[in-house]
Order: sequence, then C-alpha cells, then structure tokens
Amino acid sequence: MEFLGQDGREGFGRRANSRFVLILLILVSILLLLSSLYSAQASVFKKAREGVLDATAPVLEVFSGPVAYFNGLAGNVSDYFNVLEQNKALRDENAELRQWMNEALELRKVVGAYDGLQTYRAPPAAQPIDAYVIGETNDAFARSMIVNAGRAQNIEAGYAVVDNRGLIGRIVDTGARASRVLLLTDVQSRIPVYVEGAAVEGLLVGNTRGKPAITITEGADDVAIAQGQRVLTSGAGGVMPRGLPVGVIDGEHGDDIMVDLYANYARTRLVRIINYEFPEVGEALDAVEDGAGEEVVAVTEG
Amino acid sequence: MGYRAEHLLSLLKTVAPLLLGLLGVIILALPIRLFEGAAPTPIIPLVVVFFWSIYAPAYMPSVSVFLIGILQDLLTGGPLGLWAAVYLVTQFVVMSQRSYFLGREQKVVWLGFALAAASASLMLWLVMSLMSGGLLPVGGLLAQMTTTVLIYPLFGVAFGEFHRRILVEA
Repeated sequence: MEFLGQDGREGFGRRANSRFVLILLILVSILLLLSSLYSAQASVFKKAREGVLDATAPVLEVFSGPVAYFNGLAGNVSDYFNVLEQNKALRDENAELRQWMNEALELRKVVGAYDGLQTYRAPPAAQPIDAYVIGETNDAFARSMIVNAGRAQNIEAGYAVVDNRGLIGRIVDTGARASRVLLLTDVQSRIPVYVEGAAVEGLLVGNTRGKPAITITEGADDVAIAQGQRVLTSGAGGVMPRGLPVGVIDGEHGDDIMVDLYANYARTRLVRIINYEFPEVGEALDAVEDGAGEEVVAVTEG
Repeated sequence: MGYRAEHLLSLLKTVAPLLLGLLGVIILALPIRLFEGAAPTPIIPLVVVFFWSIYAPAYMPSVSVFLIGILQDLLTGGPLGLWAAVYLVTQFVVMSQRSYFLGREQKVVWLGFALAAASASLMLWLVMSLMSGGLLPVGGLLAQMTTTVLIYPLFGVAFGEFHRRILVEA
C-alpha cells in the first residue's frame, strides 16, 4: 500500500491539520465534558440533543425496518435448532396462562363489584401512546432507545415506557417527533419501586449490568426479601403510576438486591408510553385509589 | 467540467471521510440486535478516525473528528464531549506515532489499532466510572472493542480501496 504513504512522513504541522487546532479541540471537549458533569440538564445541551434527535429520526426510521428484518433473520437461524423444545415450553406456558386468565376473569368480576360501590371512584383512565423503537444506543455504558413519538404526540420527559412484558424505562429527551427512552440498566436510571409482599420501598438503580439493583429507602430493618417476589413501580414522586410491573427479585449480591427485569431489550420493538398525570390533591382525597387494587387481592385471597 | 463543479468535487472528497464517520455514528444508533443482541455493534467511527489520521490526515482534520464525536455524544445521550475527547486523543496519539506506522505491514497497523482501542476504552471507562461514582463493569465495553478490533482489517482494506480509487485517483 505504497500509495497510502504518499503525502509524506512529515507528521504534524500540515496545513490542513495543525497540532494547535487538535489540542485546542481536545481542550474544548474536556471543557464540555466538565460542564456537562455539573449541569447535565442545561438547556443548551438539552436543546442540542433534541435537535439531533429530530434531525436523525427520519434516517433512523428509514433504516430501522430493514434492520429489524435482518435481526429477525439472524434470530430465526438459531430458532430452527430448538423449535421442538420451544414448542413444548410454549404449550406449558399456555396451559399456565389459561389458569391465570380464569383467575383474572374472576378478579374482574370482583373489581366490577367494588366499582359499583359508591365509595370507590376509578382514577381517570390514562391514554397511552404507542410507538416503535427506531434507534438504540449501542454503547457500553449509555443505555437508551429512540422511539418515533415526540412532542407532537404530547410526550413529555418523565413518562414511563412499557412493552408487552413490563417497564423498560422512562422518557428523558423529547424532540418534535422522536424521544429518547433511558433504559433501566443505564447508570443514570433511578426508578422508585416497591417489593410486593414485603413492606419495602426503594430505588431501582441501573449499573449497566443486565440486572439492576434496589437501594432500599424505606422499610423495616429485618426485611424478608425472597427470590421470585415481584417488583413494581411505587409511584413515589408522582411521575409514574403505581404498580407497573418491573421484574422479580433475583437474589442478593453483597449488599445489593438484584432484580431480574421482565423487559428483554433485545426483543423490544413496539412500546407504549404512559402519559400519567398525578391527581390533584382534591381528586386524590375523593378517590383514594392507591392501594385499592391491593385490597381487592387481599379479599380474594382471604 | 467547470471551475465551480471541480471545486465542489474537491470539497466533497475532503469531507468524504467525515461523512463516513457520521454514517458510522448513525449505524451505532440503529437497533441492530444480531443473535438476540449478543453481537455488539462495532465502533466504526474509531476505525475511520484511526485510518485517515495515519494515512491521510489532510482528509481528517481535527474539526471533522470533533464533529463525529459530538454527534455521537448527542445521539447516545451520554455526557457531551466524551466521545469527542476520546476520538481527538486517539488522533493525537496516532499522529504522533505516524512516522512509525507509515509503510509498515498491515499486521503492525492492526496491532496499533488494538492499542488505540484499548487506550480509548480505558479513557471511556475511567470517565464513566468517575461520573457514576463507582467502578463500572467492563464486560460490555470489552466485547464491543474486541468486535471493533476484529473487524478492523476488513474496514482497513475497504477504506484503503476507497481512498485510492475515489479520493485520490477519481
């Protein structure tokens, strides 16, 4: 490859590429990095991120279709080899789900009866927004997805995002027609959760591993947390609704309580964004809706 | 060809590596999940920056490197300036070692790229760990950088052909 050495061995100091500019730009980058450490949500940076989202969304949208096709193709190849086991597992799961369906139908009847009582007023129904995943940061540390719905669909930062399995994250940046979802596994992700059956409130803290950990904020000293208990959003802070399924307790790892997420990010394609409005104080007094669902469960169990 | 068209063509040639780098950033942002997400996406912009910084720095001015890095920061939603700094430092290191790499065998250059990727990883890991207030796991980063290093020969040949046939001769 002699041709590649043709512009000589002079190294630095060329007209088009001076060492001075390079060092200057390195300093500018470090300055930007330091300033974004202290004010990650500064409006200038936020505007820039949203602008880039808007500019790249059409490109990503065009490419995401073929990319999904090839992902499916590559996924299918390995599926061919274990189709028998998968069929058997699916049949078992189907049988189990049928039992759950019957139980859900029973519960629906019970809830209907409670709805009929004057003391209970259902909270205003949320109007979720459906969107496709058009982008994903394939970065070792930053974990987020880009979905094709934005301010035009009344999406705001903080909204919870779920797929057909459970919570996947929350909206952080909103462009005009695209938004960024910060996944639960990102180092910046903090989601208020509680553990079902154990009076424990905590924060689900992402750490780039597949299984984020819970930091307990409130609970009895001798908390009995067992493997397999469900983890749900607690709704603390009023940004997310209470009771969105997040995952199950996987076990303790040192001081950390690891959570096995319901979400499978390799399969997330269609998501639902939940535009939840925290009820006003007056409304909240009228309808003490929190905990109502749990009481119903308790009644049927008893 | 008129003067204006010729001028435009030469401008296009100068920014072609920049466009390739930006395309690499877009590829990083696509939801590519081959084999159920087991195969990480290679960091093609790092290859672009490394390749042109060694062989034809005139086609990869620092401003281009900066723009590629900033776009990646904005698109991934990470701390602004991180990837820009990583790419620029890579360019600085590579260009200071340019006279060693020029005219060497491809194997040697490949090894050089592996070292550059390793130092870039170390920088990324240090900054992100500092930001999150704890040592972060390195598994994902290692897998991604290994993939990038493994695909380097392929892109090295492709970029070499592109540079010779389109940027220099055409």
